[in-house]
Amino acid sequence: MNWEAIALSLKLAVCVAGILLVAGLPIAYWVTYSRWRWKFLIEAVVALPLVLPPTVLGYYILVGLGPRTFPGKLWESWFGHTLPFTFGGLLVASVLYSLPFAVQPFSAGLETVDRGLIEASWTLGASRLRTFFRVILPLSAAGAMTGTVLSFAHTIGEFGVVLMVGGNIPGVTRTVSIDIYDQAQAGNYDAANRTAVVLLLFSFLVLSVIYGTNRRAMSLWRKR
Amino acid sequence: MSLEVAIEKQVSQFRLAAKFTAVGTPLGLLGPSGSGKSMTLRAIAGLETPDRGRIVLHGRVLFDSAQRINVPVRERRIGFLFQNYALFPHLTVAENVAFGLHGLPESERARGVARQLAAAHLKDLANRYPASLSGGEQQRVALARALAAEPEALLLDEPFSALDTHLRGALERQLRETLETYQGATLFVSHNLEEAYRVCGELVVLERGSVAARGPKEEVFRHPPTLEVARLTGCKNYSRARRLADGLIEALDWGCTLQVAQTLARPPEHVAIRAHHIRVHAPGAAPEACENIFACWLAALTETPFRVTLDLRIGGPPASPADFHVQAEVFKREWESFRNIPQPWQVELSPERLFLLPD
Repeated sequence: MNWEAIALSLKLAVCVAGILLVAGLPIAYWVTYSRWRWKFLIEAVVALPLVLPPTVLGYYILVGLGPRTFPGKLWESWFGHTLPFTFGGLLVASVLYSLPFAVQPFSAGLETVDRGLIEASWTLGASRLRTFFRVILPLSAAGAMTGTVLSFAHTIGEFGVVLMVGGNIPGVTRTVSIDIYDQAQAGNYDAANRTAVVLLLFSFLVLSVIYGTNRRAMSLWRKR
Repeated sequence: MSLEVAIEKQVSQFRLAAKFTAVGTPLGLLGPSGSGKSMTLRAIAGLETPDRGRIVLHGRVLFDSAQRINVPVRERRIGFLFQNYALFPHLTVAENVAFGLHGLPESERARGVARQLAAAHLKDLANRYPASLSGGEQQRVALARALAAEPEALLLDEPFSALDTHLRGALERQLRETLETYQGATLFVSHNLEEAYRVCGELVVLERGSVAARGPKEEVFRHPPTLEVARLTGCKNYSRARRLADGLIEALDWGCTLQVAQTLARPPEHVAIRAHHIRVHAPGAAPEACENIFACWLAALTETPFRVTLDLRIGGPPASPADFHVQAEVFKREWESFRNIPQPWQVELSPERLFLLPD
């Protein structure tokens, strides 16, 4: 079993889930409450990774962040190296790729919060920020949890984007899914199988946790 | 404390134009559903933005379209009791009540919560969650929560509509007691006129977004300015009217000529009388001095535990139960005195009780 690849996958997934929790919630908040008429365009962009083949997304990230583009140059001037084929590049790509898996559950969670409760909070003198942390977030915790766990799990399982943007550098960008692919290519079915079973059990566990806690969280507050 | 409101807002079916001032006594906003009552409350709280106008709370301008002032909801210091109470389901009763006190030091906060819980008899429920409370308890928590923040005005949006009838009486009494000690301006929205009458000193009647009547409650009930207001204040009997002479009109729908005590600058369009002001007598039993006595026949009757409502036809027997002119509400005791006497009976539409409506 390739522990190095597993460790890398976990590190990547934790980082992606963390970044998406912090960055995805404001996006979801905006998507849920904005009355901007062109909002659907942003929603479509956020959902793009759901339908786009990972290779297409990976290709654009590769080109977009390459050394000749503006963002690529900016990154290089800040960090002294280019993004593609590094852990940083992999992280950027993974965050974009998992964006809908975080934002959509977040948004679904926010939508379950009664508008009247938000208004009640305002009339009691709470700012938007306080309302968010004291009312909206606790009441949509199930959605926040689902989104975070899904983006974590989705990152563990991604393949195409990693291959396009990260390449296959042991310890830097060779994640579990790529390792399994490599092992299978090389005919090491035993090794591929062992890693695959770990991934399978892990995925099952994660989904069980989501469904289990969601139901409990729901029944806690919605006893009416 | 005073609350001055003069706002306009285009709502889907009509233009809301509300103008009134609440000083001292609770002000009741009365009107049928969809007349703009809730919209008016929401605009005062800052949850809706009027197109035009001005809202001033105790000298503090909350909204002024000309000066481009629009104070955010959280800075208005206006308590809002929502129709469904909007309690935070993830917070206990005590935490709900404490929600509006977050700016205070811990000790003061705890004291404020304790005071409100005691005043609302909620001490025993402090650690319960809203989902485990009855409707009446939820309402008390919502009121305590609004009052804990010490708002300068209190807006009550149909606070009893979500409750069972048997709970309303006690809660209403409690609310009236609370409002008596409350120093700020109070607005009470209701479509139940009796409830509004009991809770409020002044009434504003809204009709399709416009103020149809405004003033002390007794005045609004005694002299409704329009037929619609008369109807809203529970008046069931009205007829088109034609002026014959000073103090004399013809009630066109009732087919009779009536003496009236009231005089109007404009010729009346309608004459009206409340059901409980109509008296019914056995034949020949009406006192001599009475005016406006007519022979009447019973078309239908409705019994309630203590009263009966008689649908009466003036001038001749009815063709069907729906063929009647006026509804009279009399006590069972009176009803017993003439129910077995052959018809026609006598109906008395006292001139002092009749009122004229200019439109």
